[in-house]
Amino acid sequence: MTVTEQEITDYVARVQAALADLPPAVRDELTEDLPEHLAEVAAEADGSLVERLGEPEAYAAELRAAAGVGAGSRGRGLDRRFGAATAKLRERLDRWDVQLGPPLGYPRVTEFLRLLRPAWWLLRGYLAAMLVTVATTGGTFGLVPSLNGSELAGLVLLAGSVLASVWLGHHTPGLSRPKRRLLHAGTLVLVVFALVGLVNVDERARWGGDYGYQQISVDDRYDHVQDVFVYDSEGRLVENARLFDQNGDPIRLGYPDCLTEQDLNGAGNPLLRPYPYCPERAPFAPRPPAASPPAPGLPPLSIPSGTPTAGPEPTVGATATPEAAPTAGPTPTTETAPTPAPSRT
Amino acid sequence: MDTTQLLKGVLDLAVLAVLREEDGYGYDILRRLREAGLEEVGDASVYGTLRRLFAAGLLTTYVVPSESGPHRKYYSLNTAGRDQLTRSGKLWCSFATTMNALLDDRGMAA
Repeated sequence: MTVTEQEITDYVARVQAALADLPPAVRDELTEDLPEHLAEVAAEADGSLVERLGEPEAYAAELRAAAGVGAGSRGRGLDRRFGAATAKLRERLDRWDVQLGPPLGYPRVTEFLRLLRPAWWLLRGYLAAMLVTVATTGGTFGLVPSLNGSELAGLVLLAGSVLASVWLGHHTPGLSRPKRRLLHAGTLVLVVFALVGLVNVDERARWGGDYGYQQISVDDRYDHVQDVFVYDSEGRLVENARLFDQNGDPIRLGYPDCLTEQDLNGAGNPLLRPYPYCPERAPFAPRPPAASPPAPGLPPLSIPSGTPTAGPEPTVGATATPEAAPTAGPTPTTETAPTPAPSRT
Repeated sequence: MDTTQLLKGVLDLAVLAVLREEDGYGYDILRRLREAGLEEVGDASVYGTLRRLFAAGLLTTYVVPSESGPHRKYYSLNTAGRDQLTRSGKLWCSFATTMNALLDDRGMAA
């Protein structure tokens, strides 16, 4: 036999292209046993199909005339032009089909794509499962299907839909026309769904689950801070203290709302002033040299059974050396002061 | 005037006629027509005629699975088809008789 399957397929394609202006149902009906017919013609004698039957376009014209179907029923001129355009497009696609095949290692692109069909069936099953997932959980597009929040049920669903899709793939050619159309519509929905989902997942993957910046300095915990008071281990207020973070950046807390000499002198940015802004508002009074003060003094740190929590970060230098304790001498007023600590050394 | 043009008018009748004894599928019908002497009948014409007769309700079809190759669509005459064959056949015969007589008078009988 000198006529190949390929030649038959091409001939059928060209006949169908020439009938492209007909409603698809009519066209399919006209050409449904054409491949079989061509096969018989081919088996009968030598020579190409064109030699035996004439050009496919002529064949199509004869078929059309004998069957008594004119051009499409509505809008003849427009339909015919449309038919001609689709026929030309088909022809071009057919040419590309042949031309682009060899680079892929196949005689035709369609042959290559046909091999990928089962892979598409699998993907289609997965997409259907994901669609159910999104529909039931209401929104977020993940990667693993789940049913009512259950991943196991989701996997069962996935297996079911993949099997169904593969089965459907094998039986698509046998479906009736309306059913096939329904299937194609469903496929279109799945493809759109997949594209939307892909964009969605991609966006989230790019963000890395974060918002791109770290929330640090804006923190409610320090909103109420107006001023910072630093006390040394002896409970003395440290004036002109400056705070830095680990990077050496100044830590700005609070805001100066009292005037100092500096301000009056007009020196510098008020925000760059050292702490405390307003020493006279210190919560713990600086210890008077000898006193029985009404203002509660801040006890020295070295007292072990320490004192009500010292509010503003006095933990600086918490490891106050015992030697420091004796220097508490100058302020021996409080009973707790007697420095028991040194005995430990 | 060649056979092709004549055929156009009577192909319906010819197809109905070869289906009278036995059902057949497209290529089979084509072969019967050729064996009967209608050498010049075109493949597409026969297939197109079958479609048209079917659409007109003169034929019924059924599919027969074949061991080799695709299923075959068989055509068979239904009652309307038989009636049509009878009517058209009579018409053809009287027409042919008239034509023969006409030609015979002029000394051109076959």
